[in-house]
Amino acid sequence: MLPELFFGYYAAMIVFLSVLVITRKNPVHSVMWMLLLFFHIAGLYLFLNAEFIAAIQVIVYAGAILVLFLFVVLLLNLREELQTAKFIRSWPAGLLISGGIIVAIISALRSFVLAPQGMHTIEFIKRETHTKALGTILYTEYLFPFEIASLVLLVAIIGAIVLAKKKTRS
Amino acid sequence: MVPLNWYLVLSAIVFMIGVFGFLTRRNIIIMFMSIEVMLNAVNISLVSLSHYMQDMRGQILVFFIITVAAAEAAIGLAIIIALFRNKSTVHVDEMSEMKG
Amino acid sequence: MPGTYLPSDYLPILVFLMVATAFGMGALLIGSILRLRRPYPEKLMPYESGNPPVGEPRQRFSVKFYIIAMLFVVFDVETVFLYPWAVVFDKIGLYAFIEMIIFIVILLVGYVYAWRKEAFKWD
Repeated sequence: MLPELFFGYYAAMIVFLSVLVITRKNPVHSVMWMLLLFFHIAGLYLFLNAEFIAAIQVIVYAGAILVLFLFVVLLLNLREELQTAKFIRSWPAGLLISGGIIVAIISALRSFVLAPQGMHTIEFIKRETHTKALGTILYTEYLFPFEIASLVLLVAIIGAIVLAKKKTRS
Repeated sequence: MVPLNWYLVLSAIVFMIGVFGFLTRRNIIIMFMSIEVMLNAVNISLVSLSHYMQDMRGQILVFFIITVAAAEAAIGLAIIIALFRNKSTVHVDEMSEMKG
Repeated sequence: MPGTYLPSDYLPILVFLMVATAFGMGALLIGSILRLRRPYPEKLMPYESGNPPVGEPRQRFSVKFYIIAMLFVVFDVETVFLYPWAVVFDKIGLYAFIEMIIFIVILLVGYVYAWRKEAFKWD
């Protein structure tokens, strides 16, 4: 009973908050609703026994990426944005496309078969602690993707500086 | 008992909301936020699959997706700043020239 | 058993969140019921008895804020990678140490680049 109740709360809030994110006129409000959305997604991860993922959801998404969004919203001028129309005129076409995607996904779910169970049972994670179990896989099996991730971050630093920094004219 | 399909349907609905926002909003910042919403929908389905399969590799993938999302946000928002500097608008319909 | 899992370790946090929300909203609600409300124009000014504000409240920020925030995001992600590394360090040992050194050196290149491009200069 209790798991269904919590799932219902989180599912309703996540759907409601994502609708709010994409329908607000003022981007600052969108960012604020998105903050709440990310906290709810982090809460959902706790119920999926993924506490470290919940933590990085809060640290990276809510703590860092949204700050970046907020800075950019404040960096740009908003005034004329508040007077133009929110959606494009042909928004029913967008609804049709996204509705088609969801129908396709849900009809594909009916023929969905779960793969055989792995070794990371709830008891295993409880004994090992979640962060340790995650780190063991990450730093042995996924060593190469981990090093590639540093290159992705390096590209982010260099690209963002090249694009955003003003040219210093002498 | 929450079946796996509930999580997958939730993820599909959130993904749909993200697609709808991306297709219909013309403010480039909100379009970008729609992409983040879509990424989060994918993350929800990956973490739930990982939990129901009792295999943590899905969560590693989520870890990398969050890393890439951070890099993508840094680059994408820098592009928005560069565009805004040239065009002084965040409305994508007004950015129709190839020449900066 | 997946599907019936409840994070019982986080029960105190749930209670904490509920009490915090109830306290915050309750204090605002009780305040709005009990307080006196006699507004007059001077009282409603942004700075009471001060200078009237000049110009737009929504000024444009400098792009330097963006550069700093972007560097924060990237090194925040790097720090997130350090947490599980620190936890499993005694289990994997030297191997883990070398791979983390490679990771940090690659990011250090970006740091040096930002430094050379004077991204940290404020004026």
